[in-house]
This record gives sequence, structure tokens and C-alpha cells, in this order.
Amino acid sequence: MKKINQSIFQRYWNPYVVLAIAGILSAVYFGLTSTVWAVTGEFTRLGGDILKLFGVDISGWAYYDMVHLKGTTWSRPDGWIVWGMFVGALVMVLLSNSFKIRRPQQKRRYVQGLIGGIVAGFGARLALGCNLAAFFTGVPQFSFHSWIFIVATGIGTFFGAKLTKTRWWKGKPTLTRGSGKPAPAKARVIQPYIGGAIAIVYLALTVYFFVTGQKLLGLGALFGLAFGILIERGQICFTSAFRDLFLVGRSVMAKAIILGMAVSSIVTIIVISVYGLTPITQIAALSTFIGGALFGFGIVMASGCETGMMYRLMEGQVLFLPVFAGNVIGATILAYAWDHLGVYDTLVKSGAKVNLLDSLGPVGAIAATLAMLAVLYGLTVYREKQYHRKIVLAKGAKQHAN
Amino acid sequence: MQTDLEADFTLDLRGESCPYPVIYTLEALEGMNKGELLQVITDCPGSFRNVPEEAIAHGYTFAKDPVKNGQEYLFYIYA
Repeated sequence: MKKINQSIFQRYWNPYVVLAIAGILSAVYFGLTSTVWAVTGEFTRLGGDILKLFGVDISGWAYYDMVHLKGTTWSRPDGWIVWGMFVGALVMVLLSNSFKIRRPQQKRRYVQGLIGGIVAGFGARLALGCNLAAFFTGVPQFSFHSWIFIVATGIGTFFGAKLTKTRWWKGKPTLTRGSGKPAPAKARVIQPYIGGAIAIVYLALTVYFFVTGQKLLGLGALFGLAFGILIERGQICFTSAFRDLFLVGRSVMAKAIILGMAVSSIVTIIVISVYGLTPITQIAALSTFIGGALFGFGIVMASGCETGMMYRLMEGQVLFLPVFAGNVIGATILAYAWDHLGVYDTLVKSGAKVNLLDSLGPVGAIAATLAMLAVLYGLTVYREKQYHRKIVLAKGAKQHAN
Repeated sequence: MQTDLEADFTLDLRGESCPYPVIYTLEALEGMNKGELLQVITDCPGSFRNVPEEAIAHGYTFAKDPVKNGQEYLFYIYA
């Protein structure tokens, strides 16, 4: 028992396994509800809820009509996906006794987090999806906008990584001579009990949803919980997938995400053909590209995307409070700009909804998707190799100089 | 706890989120003389995995296994 307990709670899970499971679950969630695992749409609605709270009349805002702002976050399945993810992550953090208030030593991070959060929130909603609906769950829906989004996000994170490396952005760490002192260990461990209690209450609530016939809320709550558990235990970070490839030639997360999307695409095409469902397609337009690039740049500025920031916040990383606020603010600004500042007319209107299933048929769609993912995988491996070749050369040069 | 190793430098990264623990660690190691020992104290869960993996991928060696200390990890890396 102790061994099982150790491998579940004391170690982080293999990201390949975690993302394959997440890919399968998101396909199943689509099969059950005809909606996908997504979060930023709900962030936009939260922004709308807050505006209404302050008495702002948003009834004429086209964007809120489009994302169906109705009821409260507690009566929306998408809302329960978000809160379920927060709860799932928090429960795992507590069960593994790893909650700790973590305040960045570099105060500039708070400003970077807020600005990055706003840029990423704005970009994601401009492109109609973040790293989920326009990426991880967008590709398996065969929505072409996610292909554009991935390329644009890659470009955005490349420049983000450049910014991260500048001296004024990263700041100087505290490097001291001699051995440092670790924090004294605490004898009493209470976090797992709190985590267990929260889990029981939450599961009871989920059962209540099903018993009272609110099936969609129950499914949202249940799948949200599962996604939260997975992203925390796998430390799934879409930001790092691109960024670390550019920064330090690290490829694990990128490869795991690509394989997860491949698994999800295969399961989704089966679900679509067996149940005769219509995939969710978003407009592919100039806005997708600009939004993706802004999103990529913003998530690196903020050190976390809309998904990653959720479990980081639950771990007690204070930095992600301004990031979360920034995400909601950015999404809300976009909702305003959509019709009031002509964003729709200039960037979106000329686009079209392109779905590979319609244009290529089922076999063509899955073949093209898997081929695209294979190319991405190849590029990832190439970049990793190229980085390490450079490192070896640089080291050799340094040794000769000495 | 074992404190038999005397580090030449200590990098206290508590509170910093990814990717800064990795960047700081690699930069500190690069600036040190070969054979000197760096102690890294970090509490960002992402860094528990990426700091040791990247230090090794960049050709540095560990003086001993990472030490888990409550919600922090201690790494001992030779430059």
C-alpha cells in the first residue's frame, strides 16, 4: 500500500502517459457532450459576469452572444470544467503534501505575469481558443484553425524565449558562497487530510448533479476534476513545450503533447464516425495567426498558459494570481474590442470555418493530421539535436581557450 | 539529514517559477570553475524534474542524489 501511495502521490507521473489519457478523455467528453475540453471561453464569460456585477450593460456585445453568456459559472458545464480542474489540482497538491505559499524573489515577476496574462488572454480569445480548443483539443476536431494557431504560437514563444533571456527581464538570482540552509522540516503533516475532505465534498456534489438530473453539469464537474488531476500530476506545461525547446533544448513536453494529440485524434475520429457527431470548427482567419502569436508571446512572459497557471496557483505559486487576473482581463478586453473596435471586421470576417473532415473526408483528415503531427515531432527532435550540438561545440571552444 | 558535502556556492531559488530555476542553475554552473560544487535549493515543482534532467543533459554531474526536504528539493551539482 505504501508503495502504491508513493508512486501516485510522491512522484509526478510520466507526461506521455498523462497526455495520452487526457487525449482519450477529451475525445470521450466530446462524445458524451458534443463540447470540448476548453477553459478560456469560460474565462471570457467570467469577465462578462464581473462587468455585469459592476453594472456594465453588455447585452449588445457580439462576443458574449457568440460564447453564449448565460446563467452563472455554477450553472454552466464549461464553468464546472474550470472549477473541477482547480479542485482536482488542489486535491492532488494536498494529498502529496506539496502545498506551499511560494512568492517570487524577483518582484518584477508580478508585473510580467499580469502583462503576460493579459496578452495571452487577449490572443487566445482572438484566435478562439487557447492551448486547448485551438491546440490540444482543436487538432483532434480537425479544425484547421488549430494548425494555424500551433505555428503562430511557436513563433510567439520563440520571441518570448528571446525576451526571457535578456538581463533586465530575468533578473539576477541570489548566488551565495558556501552551503545554504534548507527550511526546517515540519513534523506534522495535515495537508493530505484536507485534500481528502475536499475530494469527498466535491464527489458528493458531482453525485448530486447526476441524481438531480443535471447530467451536463455532472459530466463537466467530473471531467474537469480528472483533467485537473492529470495536468497537476503530469506537470503538463504547454508553455514549456515550445519555450524550453528554444531555451535549453528540452523536448519532453513537446513530444508528449504531440503524441497525446495523435491518440486523441484517432479516438475522436472513431467517436465522430460511430455516433455521427459534427466536429467543432472555428473560423480560420488572420485573427487566428495574430492571436496565436500574441498567445505564444504572452504565455512565456507570464511563465504559464491558461491551463498551466491553474495547477500552479493551486500549488501556492502566488505569481499566478496576477496571471489568472490578466487572462480574464485580456479575454474581456478582446470581447469589447471584437465589435466596438472593429476587430471582427478587420481580422475575422474574411476568414472561413475550415474542417478537414469536410474538405478531405475522414481518411484524408486523419492521415493529414497524423502527418502534420509527425512533422512537428520531427522538427522537435531536430531542434533538440541542433541545440546539443551547439552546446558541445561551445564547451569545446571554452576548454581550448583555457 | 546528510550535510557531509560542503558546497562552494548556493543558489537559493525558492519562490521562483519555471523556467527561471533551469536558466539560473545552468548560468551559475557555467560561471563556476570545473569541479566546484553548487547547491541548488528550489521549491517550484516543475524544477524538481527539469533542473536535474537539464543539468545532466548539459554535461554536469551530481555529487549525490537529490534531497527532498518537505516542499523543497536540494540538488548538489558539480560544475
